[in-house]
Amino acid sequence: MAVRYDAIVVGSGISGGWAAKELTEKGLRTLVLEAGRPISPAADYTMHVQPWEVRFRGMGDRAALEREQPMQRTCYACDEWSHQFFVNDREHPYSTAEGSRFSWIRGRQVGGRSIVWGRQVYRWSDLDFEANARDGHGVDWPIRYADIAPWYDYVERHIGVSGDAEGLAQLPDGQFQPGMPMTIAERHVREGLLRRYGGERVLTIGRCAVLTRQLGERAPCAYCGVCERGCSTFSYFNSVHVTLPAAARTGRLTLRPYSVVHSVIHDRRTGRAKGVRVIDARTREVLEFEARVVFLCASTLESTRILLNSRSEQWPAGLANSSGVLGKYLMDHWMGAGASGVVRGFEDRTTTGARPNGIYLARFRNVASASKEFLRGYAYQGGGYRAGWGRGNAMPGFGAGLKEALRTPGPWQMQLYGFGECLPYESNRVELDPELRDAWGVPALRIHCAFGANERAAMQDAATEAAEMLAAAGVQNVRPFLEDNPPGLTIHEMGTARMGRDPRTSVLNGWNQSWDVPNLFITDGACMTSSANQNPSITYMALTARAVDHAVHLMKRREL
Amino acid sequence: MQRREVLHLLGAAAVPALALAPGRLHALGAAVARRVAHAPPTGFFSETEFRTVDQVAELILPRTDTPGARDAGVARFIEVIVAEWDTDAERAAFMRGLADVDARSRSVAGRTFLELDAGQQHRVLSALEAEARTAPAAPAPFFRRMKHLTLFGYYSSEAGIREELGEVFMPGRFEGDAPLRTRHGGR
Repeated sequence: MAVRYDAIVVGSGISGGWAAKELTEKGLRTLVLEAGRPISPAADYTMHVQPWEVRFRGMGDRAALEREQPMQRTCYACDEWSHQFFVNDREHPYSTAEGSRFSWIRGRQVGGRSIVWGRQVYRWSDLDFEANARDGHGVDWPIRYADIAPWYDYVERHIGVSGDAEGLAQLPDGQFQPGMPMTIAERHVREGLLRRYGGERVLTIGRCAVLTRQLGERAPCAYCGVCERGCSTFSYFNSVHVTLPAAARTGRLTLRPYSVVHSVIHDRRTGRAKGVRVIDARTREVLEFEARVVFLCASTLESTRILLNSRSEQWPAGLANSSGVLGKYLMDHWMGAGASGVVRGFEDRTTTGARPNGIYLARFRNVASASKEFLRGYAYQGGGYRAGWGRGNAMPGFGAGLKEALRTPGPWQMQLYGFGECLPYESNRVELDPELRDAWGVPALRIHCAFGANERAAMQDAATEAAEMLAAAGVQNVRPFLEDNPPGLTIHEMGTARMGRDPRTSVLNGWNQSWDVPNLFITDGACMTSSANQNPSITYMALTARAVDHAVHLMKRREL
Repeated sequence: MQRREVLHLLGAAAVPALALAPGRLHALGAAVARRVAHAPPTGFFSETEFRTVDQVAELILPRTDTPGARDAGVARFIEVIVAEWDTDAERAAFMRGLADVDARSRSVAGRTFLELDAGQQHRVLSALEAEARTAPAAPAPFFRRMKHLTLFGYYSSEAGIREELGEVFMPGRFEGDAPLRTRHGGR
């Protein structure tokens, strides 16, 4: 006999936490299913463990990482302190098709990847929501900025976002706490760009979900700089610090960890989702839970995998897939095209504290006028700091002189590191691997993914422009760079169950609601119709809150 | 209040409320990693090998008015890396390089490296450094690897971070344009 709830949320990360908070606060008895283990700040956070207190000084147990987490360890945040917040690759296999590369970085624990996320939050604008309609790649978004703007406001006020308002149409301002300080080198480059390009190219402090002012019981950032180890002052936003406690306070939350969702159960008679089928991760017992409404927030590829695995006679290609586009139009931002150089002067100035944030140089390509070389755009993250002791490796000599030289920080170095939009291609897609299964017997994904000529052209441009901008701002020894990172490694994977205006070409309507199964909602990155170039999490959160509001509205009117 | 709820929510209800003060969080959260960090020494190096590594490291970053590599326990760190982190090939290359330090000392002065006087030791290391400067990037010559491990071990040690660089963990604020003090100014 299945246990019944008003709502089921699959996943407890950034999107699932928000779904849980909104559903419970609106009166629904909600079951949150998390595939991974429970964690606690006291037992699992390692922020206070100093480098000399870990055996390999942060590099991690190399043999164990190579054996257990060969893919996860390619993520910058998966180190000796925080590798426990990433999955074991042996338990979580996937395959890539010939000619494809895809780095799937995953976290299975209560809080999901929100424990280790990069915390950068940027609103999208109509430049992004209208992009597909403008150039014909992908289908048109069913929403515009005006539809989501109030939800950005709502989410930002709850999670706490620090940043500076700049009045840029392509990067709308939000509900900001004061931005973190820029370094003198960063200010120097900002001013140089304003002189050279006017308001067209604006370098601002990163907008991040890290507090600079008290918010409720969360303290402002203490600048230890190691958020991905967990934060004992709860200064950065994650599900464990904010949304799950809010949901728990209502008394209507049931959180069930170790719950691997196998599939959504479809009721052929009503045409609706009846609930979900779960494999208990520890006992392997198969359980069923029922609810009036189901929210898939398991992460972009996991939500789609669940639907692909919810096959039946009626839905041979996966549940809610009458359009045939489920699994298709996978995107990830490209990253790693830019430039760095040395900012001369300011030798009597330095930084104190470790800022868990950098600078952001907002998109300027294809904003006011169209580029001939490529569609869409890119933005840069980066920063300007004095060089540390690491430069000693390249310095000649040894002994007291070397030690004395390294006691004083080196020159100011400035880097611009590009992140850019990936067009939605039908050929970038996922399917169930015919043979491969994960540790719980659930079919694994087979991923087809590659960046295209448009992405390569944009990357070239991003490297060239970064070098020109740094030079224009007076930076010396400027060196452009062009990395070759696989899709997935930016960890902004999006699409595969896109929103749209037409049920024949999209999986979800403008409310993140399945066209085919009306009480099924997908509000994580799977819903994305295009990728823009901004870090996407804030948009998932806003879409989730908006979708819950709509679902509850329909339920109250007995339309759902 | 919120922290208590979180702990309860996450199935850590057994942790007493007292544990919610930041200081206690610190103690609990760190326990596992620290147990690993303070596992007994590997005993991988022979006594002579250990003392040779220790002396080379001390020559690279000597004690001055602040602690040096020996004070910071750099040789112990290098032993852990060579014994437990290196690949077989990297470990073999390191041990060959270490043996070569003695071989060169013998050919120059007929004694082991540890038996040389300070000036002779310095000359042996200088010769190794000069060769390393023109060596290809990979495989890293012994001196380059030794210098890297010494810097890494020293500046990730308590002495290196707190005393030499004067860094404060969780300073409570970030300044992007602070005056550089000549003694402890660095990031």
